[in-house]
Amino acid sequence: MPSKVYILGGYQTDFARNWAREGKGIQAIINEAMEGALNETAVDLGDIEAIHVGNFASELYIMQAHLGAFPLNYDPVLRGIPTARHEAACASGSIAALMARTEIEAGIYDLSLVLGVELMKGVDSQTGGNYLGTAAWYEKECAGIEFPFPKLFDRLYDLYEERYGVEYEHLAEIAVINYENARKNPKAQTRDWYMNKKHACTLGDYNRTIGTRLRASDCSQVTDGAAAILLASHKYAQKYAVKRGLKLERIPFIQGWGHRTAPIRFDEKAEESKGKEYLLPHTRKAITDAFRRAQIHGIEDISCIETHDCFTITEYAAIEHFGLTSPGEGWKAIEEGIIRFDGHCPINPSGGLIGDGHPVGATGTRQLLDACLQAAGKAGDYQVPGAKRVAILNIGGSATTNVVHIVGRDG
Amino acid sequence: MYTIKNVAVLGGNGTMGSLSGGLFAQAGIACIYFAPSREEAQGGIENAVRQARSDVIRDYIQPEPFFSLESMLPDCDWILEAVSENLALKQKFFHRVDRCRKKGSIVSSMSSGLSIEDMARDCSDDFKAHFMGVHFFNPPGRLPACELTFHPHNTERTRRFVSHFCEKTLRRVNLITCNSPAFAGNRIGFQFLNEAATYADRYGVEMIDYLLGPHTGRTLPPLETINMVGLDVHKAIVDNIYENSSDERHETFIIPDYVQRMIEGKMLGLKSGLTGGFYRTGEKKERLVIDPSSLEHRSLKKIAIDTIERMKLHIHDGEYREALSLLQHEDSEPLSLINHFIAGYISYSYARIGEVTPAEDGIHGIDRAMAYGFSWLPPSAWVDFLGGTKKTVKLLERSHVPVPKQLADAGEGRQCRVPEVGKYFLAH
Repeated sequence: MPSKVYILGGYQTDFARNWAREGKGIQAIINEAMEGALNETAVDLGDIEAIHVGNFASELYIMQAHLGAFPLNYDPVLRGIPTARHEAACASGSIAALMARTEIEAGIYDLSLVLGVELMKGVDSQTGGNYLGTAAWYEKECAGIEFPFPKLFDRLYDLYEERYGVEYEHLAEIAVINYENARKNPKAQTRDWYMNKKHACTLGDYNRTIGTRLRASDCSQVTDGAAAILLASHKYAQKYAVKRGLKLERIPFIQGWGHRTAPIRFDEKAEESKGKEYLLPHTRKAITDAFRRAQIHGIEDISCIETHDCFTITEYAAIEHFGLTSPGEGWKAIEEGIIRFDGHCPINPSGGLIGDGHPVGATGTRQLLDACLQAAGKAGDYQVPGAKRVAILNIGGSATTNVVHIVGRDG
Repeated sequence: MYTIKNVAVLGGNGTMGSLSGGLFAQAGIACIYFAPSREEAQGGIENAVRQARSDVIRDYIQPEPFFSLESMLPDCDWILEAVSENLALKQKFFHRVDRCRKKGSIVSSMSSGLSIEDMARDCSDDFKAHFMGVHFFNPPGRLPACELTFHPHNTERTRRFVSHFCEKTLRRVNLITCNSPAFAGNRIGFQFLNEAATYADRYGVEMIDYLLGPHTGRTLPPLETINMVGLDVHKAIVDNIYENSSDERHETFIIPDYVQRMIEGKMLGLKSGLTGGFYRTGEKKERLVIDPSSLEHRSLKKIAIDTIERMKLHIHDGEYREALSLLQHEDSEPLSLINHFIAGYISYSYARIGEVTPAEDGIHGIDRAMAYGFSWLPPSAWVDFLGGTKKTVKLLERSHVPVPKQLADAGEGRQCRVPEVGKYFLAH
């Protein structure tokens, strides 16, 4: 029987910061995330046995690779422990966590640090937009295209439109909810930004079309950020709980996971989904895999969701793929208020990628941290009352790498 | 119970009026911007649009000339005064407001330092019961600090409502301030800035800005800050403090002679364009700096002091304690000067507890003013970074600045509650 893998806690940097403007580099943000995680969890630094770093494209954004080595600079105590950097576009942080979880389940290590990090603000928006194109098949889908990713997700919008029809107002409502939720999150990038339905629905100087249809208000943010979490074996968590007078059943653990990779080209995804119930069948499969591993019936057993809303249309798809509605009926969950903060199954109480921010390689780790905070009842002003089990969807590329985690507690 | 549906902004054409009123509009509240003319009020609305980055904001704000005041104020639930920082002018407006406002409406002043009681002196009891200082920092879209200076006639219910409204609806970081000159942020911030300007007479402007730059826990160097604020505004603030207060650093509020001469010569800073201030842009777009002795601008000298450059490298890598230890363990005149200013900032801040903010708030109110109003490392974060109270007291003693009782009694635990303070150290 593999060990349960607990999340002892962690830390997210303030996603509103611009580290380039502060004159700081990769080591600074890693140091602050690690210090925060260690302070929050109060684990002994010397207990960490492995470190997994999620990062998308630091070679491009800051001309620095080999990020697995950098956490060791935090303190000489860490020298010699195994580390690795993992890359799966926007799902990099989740893949790093999958690797750490697998090692702990296998009994190799008892305590691992998972750190997601991305510095994106040091380049202009066109350059950054071009770099993001490497998350798709750059040569075939993105070369020579300005802001290729909004255009790729416009095609998902098109597919929905063709198959089921989409009203823009529903997408606008998704943006508004994410911004509203972000206002409760003291670390969210957009916590003080102005947004309402009227703004989202009004095209103008401050809300331009970015792709062919999606607008600035539909997009996640360009963000500098890091998130670090500590994953522990049952043995370590038990000792940890005793030492701190905690009840083990109150510490969240990873109850299930799913990991499915789709063809990288969006054309192939579209082709493959023809005649199928779900537009993104691999995303749906990753979700049902996670439900099965968590031994739950489905979405009815989930308190809230942290999903990948790189664009509003992505969250629109997630509503259906999680099973909150039948395919083609995502709008019902929006109109009925199900996904609102006070709804039956709130989506992105943190603000998600649109409200909280999207430091690409850090997003999966940040979602796991938020799920842990929700399940532990420690999410502060954005705590979903009574949250016990949280589902996470983190996708890389145009829904190419799909990673789902279910995080919850026993007690 | 108060309900805020309509807000009047007196001085909606000015920077603070337009941007502060914009925060109400961003909360979906209907605003009327009053200005000398409707066109000027419209200019203020455009400021609010730029701050919110939304064209939709225009729908919430109506431009009006001051002569409409009497006919429109009776419908307003909150009257926000943001006219020029002149007591007589503000009093004149408040008398007009008092005559036509509806009973129970909130009246707040954006004053950055005038006496709240003086402003409302001859107004009605109902006015006084609903009048208070609600001071935001410039630009309010980026600096969320809010100094609340309540009038003694305000009821507890009114105080609670205004505090809650500022925090939850306007998304401000509140601190309660006493009715003391320049309240908390400007009292402490401008002490530092004016002392820096005084030292620049001897060391030069670029040297002082180099030594006390962003690596010492602030977004902008001190003289660049004054240049941006305007030397005339700076003088008005420090003169007010000098005339109406008396403390252990009183002499540091005297405007240096060369600054006085710059003001007389209309060298007021960024707003003076070609005549500039401490800095100006030359004909070849190069940056020039003022020579305090000749009051002529000249090219900037390149300054690089090894220890400070090494501090910046540490900050670049997030090694803040290592950066500060260089300051504490190396000895030279420039480093002593930096320590003098850091020690002075800590000393002056702690000494003002109970004078500019209520004693029961400890250092935390002042911390919020400096972090969220100035983007400076808050004083208690310095104490934490320096290794605690005892080590900080030693620094103050070494730097020959007074050790306030409020610091000596602070205890050894971590003091600062402002999160993620590393962001206040910049490696520029």
